[in-house]
Amino acid sequence: MPSEQELQISPLVPESIQHNSKTLYNLQSLTASLFGISAGILGLESYSGFLFYIVFSLLTVFLLYVVRVAPASSSVALSKGGASKPLDTSSYFRTPFEFWAGGLMNGLAGFILTWTLFYGLVRA
Amino acid sequence: MTWISKTITVLGGILLAHACYSAQEHSSLQSFRAAAASLTSSSTLTATTLPVDIAIETIVATFIIVLGLVSGTRPLRPIQWRVWAGKLEREGAEGFVDNEGEVNKDYVGNPFKNLEMRPGFVDVRRQRREFAEWVKGGGEK
Repeated sequence: MPSEQELQISPLVPESIQHNSKTLYNLQSLTASLFGISAGILGLESYSGFLFYIVFSLLTVFLLYVVRVAPASSSVALSKGGASKPLDTSSYFRTPFEFWAGGLMNGLAGFILTWTLFYGLVRA
Repeated sequence: MTWISKTITVLGGILLAHACYSAQEHSSLQSFRAAAASLTSSSTLTATTLPVDIAIETIVATFIIVLGLVSGTRPLRPIQWRVWAGKLEREGAEGFVDNEGEVNKDYVGNPFKNLEMRPGFVDVRRQRREFAEWVKGGGEK
């Protein structure tokens, strides 16, 4: 987290932060229910189901990084004349944690809902 | 661009629905077999794990849907003020379009517009000259 002085020197745009986190939140709540459907079809139980959720959520975030974050970050870094750090999300999100792991808890309820629903539907 | 992501998502949805139906049929077949085996009590119960092709289809379908959804997300916006304002200055409204190619509803334009439109910045003489030319030209646009 940057200090107050750094925020004064290079201010942030609140609307953009809101827009980005809303985009991420929408994607994660949608995909979490989808992963619940898959886990129910596969018949996963207990820890393996949660492991499935975590692995696929991280995969989703990584895909979002590849599609949306990486092209712009590398072009900004190239225009400054330096190579971009790998997995750098600082131009779109305040902290790396917010991007990579912030949404894991968002979709967990939806995941469990559809997981139990489809587990029951398939193994009636 | 949006129809590509929608097509990918629908394709994955069809695959996932097929996998779900296959898994359901498989489990009902297994329970039918178990009932038949208990009637005849001849054969031992077989393992009721999901066939590997259904599992592969499920995972591939999930991956395809995720791919479609991720490619359908709205473009992110830079959060640093200097990057954002620079993009605004360079690209204008074209830098802030969504997937359908329409400008975002909350597009505000130049963030310093109210500074540049201050009364002290207005060139009164030039406006008067323009008005005089407009009057001389017969008042047409």
